[in-house]
Amino acid sequence: MAKEEKRKPFGMAHVLYTLLIISVALPLLYPVGLPIGISSTTKDVYNYIENTLPAGSAVLVDLYYEMAARAELEPQAAAVVKHLFEKNCKLVFVSTVTYGPIVFELLKSTASDVFAGKEYGRDYVFLGYVAGNEPAVRSLAESIRGTVAADNYGNSITDYNKLPMMRNIDKAEDFKLVFIVSSGTDTFGWYVRQWYTAHNIPLLFGALSVIGPSIKPYVDAKQAIGMLTGQRSAAEYEVLVGRKGLGLAAMDAQSFAHALILIFIIIGNVVFFATRAKPKPKEVGKK
Amino acid sequence: MSVVVRRTIPQIIVALVIVLMVVFYFFYINADVSKGFTTADKALSDWAIVITAIAAIVGGIDILRYHVNQIRKREKRQIVFSCVVIVMEIVMVLLACYALYSGIAITTQPNFQWLYTYLYAPADAAMYSILVFYIASASYRTFRARNPPAVLLLIVAIIVMLGNTSLGAMIWEGFLPLRDWIYNVPNTAAFRPITMGIGFGLIILGLRLIIGKETTWMGRRE
Repeated sequence: MAKEEKRKPFGMAHVLYTLLIISVALPLLYPVGLPIGISSTTKDVYNYIENTLPAGSAVLVDLYYEMAARAELEPQAAAVVKHLFEKNCKLVFVSTVTYGPIVFELLKSTASDVFAGKEYGRDYVFLGYVAGNEPAVRSLAESIRGTVAADNYGNSITDYNKLPMMRNIDKAEDFKLVFIVSSGTDTFGWYVRQWYTAHNIPLLFGALSVIGPSIKPYVDAKQAIGMLTGQRSAAEYEVLVGRKGLGLAAMDAQSFAHALILIFIIIGNVVFFATRAKPKPKEVGKK
Repeated sequence: MSVVVRRTIPQIIVALVIVLMVVFYFFYINADVSKGFTTADKALSDWAIVITAIAAIVGGIDILRYHVNQIRKREKRQIVFSCVVIVMEIVMVLLACYALYSGIAITTQPNFQWLYTYLYAPADAAMYSILVFYIASASYRTFRARNPPAVLLLIVAIIVMLGNTSLGAMIWEGFLPLRDWIYNVPNTAAFRPITMGIGFGLIILGLRLIIGKETTWMGRRE
């Protein structure tokens, strides 16, 4: 109780929170358009798709993220999918997490410009949610037809009138790239073990900023061709493919929020050194 | 149930499956054997998929049962939340069933989609967004130059933060390449042993399962 009584009604933390809300909301409402440099990591991914990936290749896209991670991962997914579509790639979307089907519908609605002019069944297919985690990933590598009977909309995978692109796509070897957009860490390991190690299929990672450091060793070991991490990579990729999406819009907000946090770190340190420099009051009643 | 049925037989099955999976993954004997192995391997993968799908149903039932019990216990603080969970679960299942009955994909059923997009999605995103306040508050309180390692952490944090923003490049263009270097060199050096450690841990776990030393997966000891 005593602690509650002492608690300040509007302390330093509340000042920080209020300023943080303002620094995130204002740039989102009124974008400043700060310039964005392109990192080597993002450039490598772009160059691979642009120069190395053959046009018209089949690409598997695993959407493994929930709503919470959508702000960071959806702009990445949209930008890369746009690039892949521009190269006339045939995309097989799948999700190994239950949220996947809704996430895919949201991606399609928010990035309608990306899917415009692309025909379902001919240019892209969505297999829906495939249960089973790593065994499911393994099973898909061995045979899509043997794993999934119908796509997300109930069309038989072997109904080539409705899904003509699936005629030549079945196993891992039919794909030239796997793009894993995941908010988890394990998903990347599944694909490294079941698609890269077993079938030597190139992998591309799309991850949250916090996950980035833990999956970087896979990229450095050449088990993946590259990775995109967080909103920054999404914004960079949007610049490269010429799509003004959510990634770019959110970069200003991220910049101002980071700057604010840095200012508060500096204030915190100044206060820390100032209080440390003060001589301690002599204790009374002790020898 | 005897110990043999309860413990020994499941242990033998697990050990056998592990050995078979290792053989399927690492060894090639000849085309015929490989084909036979691939078929069996595919069957095992399919079983895992079926079990996971059934586990999701069991999970749904278990959540329902838990919250029904909470209501029965008349826990004042919990009862409202339990009611919400039960109602939402039933509504979502009913809508999914209706979608199946109508012959359309569950996720394209308008009411199902509406509830997910306008109720679940904002709630989930809001929960995650709250993290920003914790992170901001924590960084303000903990990033203090108390000692040399803390100074190093502080410097790295500032470089990575500035490298991640457009503002950093406006101050000094070197922040982005420096951030990339931190990502590529010290970070990888730190994470690679962790990844290898996890790998070794998994191997040891596999060996323990094969020889029957690992029993935690069977639940509590009786």
